[in-house]
Amino acid sequence: MTTHDERDHDEQDDRSLAAVASLRTYDVAQRRSRHLRTRCHAVLAAQARPARSTRSAEMIAAFFRRVVGPVVGGAWCLAYLVEMIRRAAAISGLPH
Amino acid sequence: MTPMARDDERLLVARLRAGDTGAFDEVYDAYRARVFAFLLRMTRNKAVAEDLLDEAWLRLVRHAPRLLPDTSLGSWLFTVARNLYWNHRRDSLVRDASASELLTLWPSPAPWPSPFDLAAAGELERRVERALSRLSPQYREVVLLVAHEGLTPAEAAVVCGISAEALRQRLSRARAALAGELRHTPVVATLKKRYAV
Repeated sequence: MTTHDERDHDEQDDRSLAAVASLRTYDVAQRRSRHLRTRCHAVLAAQARPARSTRSAEMIAAFFRRVVGPVVGGAWCLAYLVEMIRRAAAISGLPH
Repeated sequence: MTPMARDDERLLVARLRAGDTGAFDEVYDAYRARVFAFLLRMTRNKAVAEDLLDEAWLRLVRHAPRLLPDTSLGSWLFTVARNLYWNHRRDSLVRDASASELLTLWPSPAPWPSPFDLAAAGELERRVERALSRLSPQYREVVLLVAHEGLTPAEAAVVCGISAEALRQRLSRARAALAGELRHTPVVATLKKRYAV
């Protein structure tokens, strides 16, 4: 094959690709398109709901972990300590 | 390749990850027809292409929260569509049908060609569609992705799951095969006039 033939073939290949590029774009029927859009919206909404409730559950859990837990634990320890001191004082006859 | 700027796409991905239906609508309007046309030309069966299109979009929304911030939505969608096509082909051993069904389908509404354009392009388009349908699916997909969808060879390689070099070779063979299919028809002469090349 000569260089001229090769160039000819290359040009023909490029024209073929140009022809493919110019082909029209098809679309689905509007009714089907609307239906699919609605289904996808529903999936997105369903995914967003658990995500939101999971976030609020995590916030409540964090609040209990950081605030309620230590406060209750501290109060219990304090009450235990006070009671220990009170009983020790009673045993040793100190006024309480 | 994409009809949207890279920054816009990053923003869209972030909104999609948050479950924003408005972001979904933008992506859907930008890519629906392109993905459908790709599937239609690969399957050459309208019902199958519609089913695969549904599945591709449903996969996008199900996967939305796990999308990476720098995801290229076009490549992602074409990859899923392509994989769905090959899975379908493997499962059902789809046999090749004629391209005539394709030509009876309605075109994308915009831009609407004039009746003169339609008449002039009709025969040409039919020949190109027929030549395209005669290519093997491996060749057809690279020609469609690069020539029709405007993906760069690197992007098309990612979609097809092959190296850039393998894609380049496959595209070269596909171009030659397509030109071979068209060579014995008057289409090349018509194209010469039409594109003035």
